[in-house]
Amino acid sequence: MKKIILSLLSVSLFVFSCSNDDDGDVQLPLGDYDNGILVSSEGGPASVSYISDDYMTVENEIYYNVNSENLGVYLQSIGFNGDLAYIISDNANTITVVNRYTFLKQAEISTGLLTPRYITFLNGKGYVTNWGDGTDTTDDFIAEIDLTTNTVTSTIAIGEGPERILAKGDNLYVSHKGGYNINNIISVIDTTDDSIETIIVNDAPDEIAFDSNGNLVVLCSGDTRSWVADYVETAASITRINTTTNTVIETLEFAAGLHPSQMAHDDDEVYYSMSNKIYELDDDESTLPTTSILEIADIYLYGLSVDDDKIYVTNASFTAQSELLIYDLDSATLLETFNVGLGASKIYFN
Amino acid sequence: MKQIFTFLILGLGVCSGVRAQVDAVQKLDAVILSDSKLKNYAAGIKIEKLTDSVLSNNATSLTNLLAFNSNIYFKENGAGMVSSPSFRGTTASQTAVIWNEININSQLNGQTDFNTVNTSNYSSIDIRSGGGSVQYGSGSIGGSIHLNNDLKFSNHAETRIKTGYGSFNSKNLGINSSFGSEAWTANIGVDYVDSDNDYKYLGTDSVNENGEFHNLNMNVNLGVFISDKDILKLYHQSYIGERNFSGTLVGPSRSKYEDENFRSMLEWSRIIGKFSSRLKVVHLHEMFKYFENKDKDNYSLGKVNTLLINHSFNVSFNEKLQFKTILEYSNSKGNGDSFKEPVRNVFSTTALLNHKPNNSISYGVNLRQDFTTGGERPFVFSVDAGFDLFEHYQIQINGSKNYRIPTFNDLYWQPGGNLDLVPESSYQIDLGQNFNYPNFNVKLNGYYINTEDMIQWQPNSTGLWSPINIGEVASYGAEVEVKSHYNINEHQFNVSGHYSYTVSEDLETNKQLIYVPFHKGNLALAYNYKAVTVFYQHMFNGDVFTTADNLEGRFTSLNGYDVGNIGCNYTFFKNTKNELKIGITLKNIFNEVYENVAFRPMPNRNFNIQINYKF
Repeated sequence: MKKIILSLLSVSLFVFSCSNDDDGDVQLPLGDYDNGILVSSEGGPASVSYISDDYMTVENEIYYNVNSENLGVYLQSIGFNGDLAYIISDNANTITVVNRYTFLKQAEISTGLLTPRYITFLNGKGYVTNWGDGTDTTDDFIAEIDLTTNTVTSTIAIGEGPERILAKGDNLYVSHKGGYNINNIISVIDTTDDSIETIIVNDAPDEIAFDSNGNLVVLCSGDTRSWVADYVETAASITRINTTTNTVIETLEFAAGLHPSQMAHDDDEVYYSMSNKIYELDDDESTLPTTSILEIADIYLYGLSVDDDKIYVTNASFTAQSELLIYDLDSATLLETFNVGLGASKIYFN
Repeated sequence: MKQIFTFLILGLGVCSGVRAQVDAVQKLDAVILSDSKLKNYAAGIKIEKLTDSVLSNNATSLTNLLAFNSNIYFKENGAGMVSSPSFRGTTASQTAVIWNEININSQLNGQTDFNTVNTSNYSSIDIRSGGGSVQYGSGSIGGSIHLNNDLKFSNHAETRIKTGYGSFNSKNLGINSSFGSEAWTANIGVDYVDSDNDYKYLGTDSVNENGEFHNLNMNVNLGVFISDKDILKLYHQSYIGERNFSGTLVGPSRSKYEDENFRSMLEWSRIIGKFSSRLKVVHLHEMFKYFENKDKDNYSLGKVNTLLINHSFNVSFNEKLQFKTILEYSNSKGNGDSFKEPVRNVFSTTALLNHKPNNSISYGVNLRQDFTTGGERPFVFSVDAGFDLFEHYQIQINGSKNYRIPTFNDLYWQPGGNLDLVPESSYQIDLGQNFNYPNFNVKLNGYYINTEDMIQWQPNSTGLWSPINIGEVASYGAEVEVKSHYNINEHQFNVSGHYSYTVSEDLETNKQLIYVPFHKGNLALAYNYKAVTVFYQHMFNGDVFTTADNLEGRFTSLNGYDVGNIGCNYTFFKNTKNELKIGITLKNIFNEVYENVAFRPMPNRNFNIQINYKF
């Protein structure tokens, strides 16, 4: 504790002096891990790394350092709501609630979840996608969490393999990548009556985002499971969905053999990765780009984020430390490389 | 013993004098031993034999037996869970397990789970250090473990019943009957082991949840002389196991694993004068079902059936020169949810030569050529020699080329299986010095193993995990084995110990392989006076790295640990017909908090009581 207070003190002094030089708008950091990048690593062991915005402070395993306990494996994702971060460990069927700036543990949700994946927040509640048993195609659900008691209060049965979840208005948008199998739907759940509307998209919809036109943009990787019986490769796509009518506006399909794997959205651009290349697609553009903006050789590109004209990717290793690579968006040059945890997969901005 | 001897000499009706005796000894080996290669073609090889008495005084799991009684390091996914060895710094699939001369490593993952082998079913277990691919085929890179059922052709009838109870509601029951005459013999054994395995995780509030297991082993071994030159033998082993896979400190588990292994071998030996011929027909069946959720019916399945035909022909030209050829054909058919229906045929031809130019030198030259489906044709060889330089001092030296063929998982697993893989290829040399005194034996060994084309699963550029031949690893180290036995009147003292220093590094990164400790040692002390035996066992495993970048720390390495067991056996009565023995063992007496595999704590202090009755 003493160490935390001391470092808190030193960081705040430092930031204070920096901020002063910039614009005089003094704001003390809310904890050791404010004003920086968080990288979550699936593990095992699962861990979270912090890199300050000025790159001067780098700390791995911050959850352990603060709480002297390990996170459950595998750390799938983190959701943020107010001052809190919800750390989802899928195999451990657990969500660990921490203060997002101090990483002090606040609560743990460990009943009512089964292979939880992602969380979003709406009207004071948390909504968590759950695969159930990966091999069971009929037990998937959304867990509704009371954020004051941190308990699962009800569940909504849903199609196979729900993955990402976002909220808009009273609706929840869920991409069904398919879990251990494959699926091709976006579920729209009206939280006022828990009714579900289903939108068909290309196979394996994973990342979703609301674009600058208010549409839901979906990355579908297509079916690449060459090992299954009666396999037929299906086209990947970036699909735009109108969130008023909940219908597909346009489907930008990739040519055969092309299967993007990660997508991020920032300002009015979609960024996606394919075979270690990063592509950029304007929200108003209806043709997929043919040239990449960045190519990174010899990495296992496992996480992608874009923020403030910088591209963040993880080069994941599951047998040794992974790397976080930070590129300048305009010049496509490598700015920094940091060692992070095992199986680094998600990049968040705190 | 003498009776068999006479029987053989009479039965074969040949020669006289010393020659006849030499022949007879060799024939005796051929009749009794399930694998005479360990004796007759291993002049320069370090072999440690764990006899019946060691087997009966130890826990029935092969992991525990070897962890406390050999140089081999084990990693166990928690007590009773999947267990794999690292022999001389090599990987889990680079140790071959040999059941009565037949390699039984899984076709699916190339390994044997050492927690599925019940040691009470074997007459002896040999630990053969160093490469043995010429003799034992794929995967015999670090060394091999030999499970032997030797047959006893003499008038006898004996039944042993062993039952026990211990902490965590652990129960075991074993019945083994052996009976026969000079013309036939039978050995039948059944063993059942069952445990809740819910030990507490020391220093926490949790227990080992979902760790319960039970398994049944059945062995039938028969031998009969069908003429004075011909012997038929049948070996059979069944294993049926059901285990829940326990959780870890960082995640619970609800999974379950069922597996079965059926192994049958019919052998026909014919012995005429200098010649002996053995024909074996073997069927091996392995199957597993993995349940993600033990309460549901969904599971994934994998199974392989192997039919193997092996013929060996041995000529003892004279007492100094022996030659053996082996032809083997095997056909393995797989079936499973993660691959279609792969088939692999392997044909191999082997030639072994042993020559003793004089009384103090014995050497061997051995060659093997394989032909496998997929076009791989590994050629391997070995040379070995033993020199009895002085009265109590012997040097053993051997060098060999060895290999490991890709497993069905490596080749056919979907997604990722890679049909372009080539076998892992390894060269090794081993130098041993043995000091043999009546009450005191010391073996010192140094070795170097270089293995290239290591098969490793890695994500490719599209993110798909796939195995490739990439790594090159050098493993080298030193081993000490000490055994001592003293009798002072009726007081008997036994000491045995092992220490090994092991470096096993990836030659690209110069980092130590994960889960290979630099230091490992064990010590066993036993004292016997009349009906009472007291013993103490100690094992030390040094620090290991759990990630490839060799960083020390809570997330990347595990601390070394010491585990001690203490026990006492009391023989209530023992006469020619009956023997009753009761033993109690306290395990982990120091209540050491340790993890053998990261985030999987091992059991706290626990006890076990065993009752042995022989009649």
